[in-house]
Amino acid sequence: MVQLTRGTWAQAGTSLDFKTGNWRSTQRPVHVHAKAACHAACPAGEDQQAWFALLQEQKVQDAWVSLVHANPMPGVTGRVCPHPCETACNRTGVDGALAIHNVERWLGDEAVRLGWDYPVEPPAANAPTVAIVGAGPGGISAAYHCVRLGMKAEIFEALPEAGGLLRSAIPPTRLPRNALDGELNRILDLPGITLNTRQRLGRDLTIDGLRAQFAAVLLSPGCELPKHWSVKGAVPADLHEGLQLLRDFMDHGALPDAAKGDVIVHGGGNTAMDICRIMKRAGAKSVTLITASGLPGPGTAPDDIINVVPRELEEAQEEGIEIIDHATVSRLIMKGSRVTGVEIVSLKKEAGKDGRKRRVEFEGTERVVSVDMVVPCVGEQVEPEAFEGYLDGAYFWPDNPFGRIADRVFAIGDARGNRGTVAAAIGDGRLAAEAVAAELSGEADPFADERPVMELDGLNTAYYAGSSRARVAKLPVSERTFEAEIEGPISRSEALAEAQRCLSCGNCLACDNCWTMCPDNAVIKTTELAMDGSHYVFDYDYCKGCGLCVQECPTGYIQSVPETA
Amino acid sequence: MAPRSDTSKRLSELRMKHGRPPASPLEPKAEKAETLREAQPRFRGLESGHRACQGCGEALAARLVMESAGPDVMVANATGCLEVFSTPWPQSAWRVPWIHSLFENSAAVASGMEAAMKAKGKNTKVLSFGGDGGTYDIGFQALSGMLERHHNVLYVTYDNEAYMNTGIQRSSSTPHAATTTTSPAGKERMGKRHLKKDLLSIIAAHHIPYAASASVAYPADLQRKVRYAMGVEGPTFLVIHSPCPLGWRHDSALTVEVARRAVQCGLFPLVELERGALTNIMPIREPRPVADYLELQGRFAHLFRKDDYRAQEELDHLQALADHNIETYGLKGEGLDPMDSTGMSHVRRGGPLAGRS
Amino acid sequence: MREALEGSLAIARAVSMAKPDVVAAYPITPQTHIVENISKLVAEGDLHTEFVSVESEFSAASVVLGAAAAGARAYTASASQGILLMSEVMFNISGLRVPLVMTIANRAVGGPLNIWNDQSDTMAVRDAGWIQLHCISNQEAVDTTLQAFRIAQETDLPVAVNMDGFVLTHTMEVIDMPTQAEVDAFLPPFEFAGQLDPANPRSMGTLVDPNFFPEVRHSHHAAMGKALAKIEEIDAAFAKVFGRESGGLLTVEGDKKARVGILAMGSVVGTMLAGYEDFKDEVGPARIIKLRSFRPFPAKALRKAVKGLDKLVVIDRAISPGMGGVLGTEVSAVLSTMDKAPKVYNYALGLGGRDIPENMYRDLLKLVEDKKAPRFAVLDADLEKLAPEDR
Repeated sequence: MVQLTRGTWAQAGTSLDFKTGNWRSTQRPVHVHAKAACHAACPAGEDQQAWFALLQEQKVQDAWVSLVHANPMPGVTGRVCPHPCETACNRTGVDGALAIHNVERWLGDEAVRLGWDYPVEPPAANAPTVAIVGAGPGGISAAYHCVRLGMKAEIFEALPEAGGLLRSAIPPTRLPRNALDGELNRILDLPGITLNTRQRLGRDLTIDGLRAQFAAVLLSPGCELPKHWSVKGAVPADLHEGLQLLRDFMDHGALPDAAKGDVIVHGGGNTAMDICRIMKRAGAKSVTLITASGLPGPGTAPDDIINVVPRELEEAQEEGIEIIDHATVSRLIMKGSRVTGVEIVSLKKEAGKDGRKRRVEFEGTERVVSVDMVVPCVGEQVEPEAFEGYLDGAYFWPDNPFGRIADRVFAIGDARGNRGTVAAAIGDGRLAAEAVAAELSGEADPFADERPVMELDGLNTAYYAGSSRARVAKLPVSERTFEAEIEGPISRSEALAEAQRCLSCGNCLACDNCWTMCPDNAVIKTTELAMDGSHYVFDYDYCKGCGLCVQECPTGYIQSVPETA
Repeated sequence: MAPRSDTSKRLSELRMKHGRPPASPLEPKAEKAETLREAQPRFRGLESGHRACQGCGEALAARLVMESAGPDVMVANATGCLEVFSTPWPQSAWRVPWIHSLFENSAAVASGMEAAMKAKGKNTKVLSFGGDGGTYDIGFQALSGMLERHHNVLYVTYDNEAYMNTGIQRSSSTPHAATTTTSPAGKERMGKRHLKKDLLSIIAAHHIPYAASASVAYPADLQRKVRYAMGVEGPTFLVIHSPCPLGWRHDSALTVEVARRAVQCGLFPLVELERGALTNIMPIREPRPVADYLELQGRFAHLFRKDDYRAQEELDHLQALADHNIETYGLKGEGLDPMDSTGMSHVRRGGPLAGRS
Repeated sequence: MREALEGSLAIARAVSMAKPDVVAAYPITPQTHIVENISKLVAEGDLHTEFVSVESEFSAASVVLGAAAAGARAYTASASQGILLMSEVMFNISGLRVPLVMTIANRAVGGPLNIWNDQSDTMAVRDAGWIQLHCISNQEAVDTTLQAFRIAQETDLPVAVNMDGFVLTHTMEVIDMPTQAEVDAFLPPFEFAGQLDPANPRSMGTLVDPNFFPEVRHSHHAAMGKALAKIEEIDAAFAKVFGRESGGLLTVEGDKKARVGILAMGSVVGTMLAGYEDFKDEVGPARIIKLRSFRPFPAKALRKAVKGLDKLVVIDRAISPGMGGVLGTEVSAVLSTMDKAPKVYNYALGLGGRDIPENMYRDLLKLVEDKKAPRFAVLDADLEKLAPEDR
């Protein structure tokens, strides 16, 4: 029995005896780690939000370690990736996406400059060895992840050097060779990775031979065979395909004579963009890109935007490349077997009867342009030789998200058929290595990360300081050559300042808002007990379920969920 | 006045006793902290288990005030929600000496407590709390007397703009055109006919050392003002805009959002006055229309009726009042000010003190 | 030391010797001389106290409430309208069981406005839960004031010391003033177990629901009951130091064997005692009962004091319109449990400062000889002064 105190005073803090938690009726706040939009968009599987969080705490090396957990080549991807992360960045809707690729590149370069160790242990002597065909970005990534997961990797590369298209098809103005080699060699030097060059599948090796000899076989051959190109059956005699032209130029430094005149490039990827710019720089009178996709702008649907690195597009336009978008080459005008002009027709992606979009050419929009050279740049496919029995048409088309096409055989990168970026190849390498590791230890494929994506409307942007995207220096058009890198680096202080712009979407910022704003003192701050990566726990004994913390959490990390009985 | 070293020793003893972690590395860590709650790195002056409604702005404001003021304080609390929800016998949510006497005498009781402290040579600061009814209206005389006699008391009024404890009746702090149970909207009336009393100007006219307004939407600013007032010898006054989800009729999750918009539209200017003179304001980076603030609240729902010609007139009137505040206090800052209505609420990884030693 | 002093000055000096930490007051006639004199002592440096000149009696009461709650010996003084303005706080002070002392310089309550003496003010706060002591002289007022500080802190109850306005407050009297050493020997330093203390932070003035409210009121009532013994005990302790008593709960004077009694509170008792000396031969002797403690009401002591009386005249200095005298009504109620209770004649006298001459003793005794004597009347009212319909 409670005894009355004289004057009915009450002892301090005794309200704790009254558990207001049972006032919650339908909803309770919980911590939900949603995927940041950048992370969800990254083909390499990087968690940009996670490494930006470490940068916000000035933990630069930790940030790099976090990054290379997914992607061992940030110095490369920071230069060549079309960075869908930036397109997805929720800050786009506030005051501009983060300059993610610039910071990524800086981290990669810092690691090379300072010799930071990759977070891997030497594999055990009896560790299984995985055979990897192709030393392009997918193969290199696969080898790295095999070692990271405790296996050994033996790479077979047809060419004398590793690098794949990074070396053969990307001009040094985008990816200087020292940047490529700096990162590549550090990976190849890791214990457990062996590189065998001049080993071509079909000539020196067979898939079945590798299967018999190795624990698993990862196929990362890239796409080397240009897709057949013709316009209504017509093919010029002196046809130069884009990727081949680019490779030849990078090998010999020379272009065909016709490239001095008016050139039309037909296609819409980074290779098309690269070849346009090289030809213009090499002295072409004019270079025009004809692309079926659209240029970024209000009139273009997101799935219809030309698939190139956005800054490359900008730079190309600065350099005088003309672009005719939403168009295709409808007829070649030939003088003998030589092309002298092209007929161009406008088109657009339109939804058909079944709702599926297809390109529709608009009759009556045809116009003719006279040209000296037409360069098709419409993609490549797998060289079928040596892959018979594994290909599904032009590509591997694995059904399995990890790339499995047969028992202990996985396909990686462009050869899969639905890829298109270095980052995707890197991501495939990781996924395949993870699946191999699981398979070898008798486990099922790893779980896919199916967390929801945090979109802008889930954030409370009132809490973010306005700050504009880092401005990065570029070589002026007049100083651009075939060698010098066009986009400049950013400094440490710029990188750290840019990191401060990260909104930490879907992940706890430890900003104290919930702790500060709870009228009921029901948010407890703790570093010991908050095992979910935050610094806070909810005290459901007292939480009344008002939802204030949910509303005021800037990152959307606190969400209201129905009470369960 | 006790020597400084005595004061800090005493404070450190108090902190230890109440489970507050040390304020500096030189202080030993609280020995008593056996639970996470006890180990909270802040003073829990207003503890959990109080019976405020969900999303109560007043509870939030009082909690913030206590954190910055405690533990070496004592509180006189006027009758009202805060008093009722915090101390239903035999429980109390307070961790400081606290007394409730009557509705209208909080400032006078605090005067007596302060006189007692003075007489006994103690440094414990006295706080006096009241709602808007207990301050703007019935306790106004006692408050004026306390200020005039220059008691070393920090008076805090939790302004939720009506008599909420008795069921949402209008007070002199209720904004123009707001509906309450005694100023309902109808065929002949558009809510409260009169204006919100400009209490802060009246308080400032007492020529006291410090008087300021604050809002629960800006906790850092609020707590800075409390700390500043705590350091002033003499009477200080703080009015804290504290939304009441029940009385203002908004979702309990929107308490801070509503308060933020009140500041951002200019209807509740955050200002500081010393000796009656305006010494600081929180600039509004981009003033929002008052409608943004009003539309969140059911008490202004009648101002959004499309079929009533009076609605637009009252909206315009309230906009004019906000514009008048912006003009009078010069709330339009220039450029980006980190202390403005946008800058003040910015978060950073690791909380407000991250990266500072 | 015996000195000729005005009542108010004597009270100011007595309060000063109790060394209050906080004094709060608002001026009202006839209390003003008390607080003026305290202010003067403070101004001269003879009294070290926080003197808070408040803006109303309401705040005066609130200030002493806060001060005492915070552990300070606190004192205030008021009268009449001031008491009524304080009344809400007075209920609160006692309900929170906060010990402090107030002097009431008794005065009529308006309207119409009247600044002269009666006891309607203290009667209006009869149920405020305070100990209410009445003094017949300035000597008693001084002594009772000192005792009041000790009674308050030993009972956790507030004490109101009543002294008639002007009749005592503004009257010179030879008073045996205590010395500081004597006061210090009698009155220990202030202590209040329930005080506000950061080292032991409790909450006072909580919300108490129906589950506990009757117990709260019961304990308050019981505390008043226990205070009866405390008042006598402290009066005895006072006598030990000072060699004189103040009259405990009540005292019986005059002719203890008389069959007629007169009961009163305050200075009118002195008038009756003087009348007794002058007129006892003419109209016979009376037992004069001086009631000192109105709250708590000493029922048992009163029944003992009236034993053997046939008639008891109760003089009221206040009126409860529609009922009669307040004191008379209560005395009747208390005596109703006796086997042979005296007949009670209750007369309101001296309302609003109407002079009560010594021959009132004679008039009262003569009046109650008459079997048709009214049981209640505003005795000195001259009905000729009223329009017939208002009589």
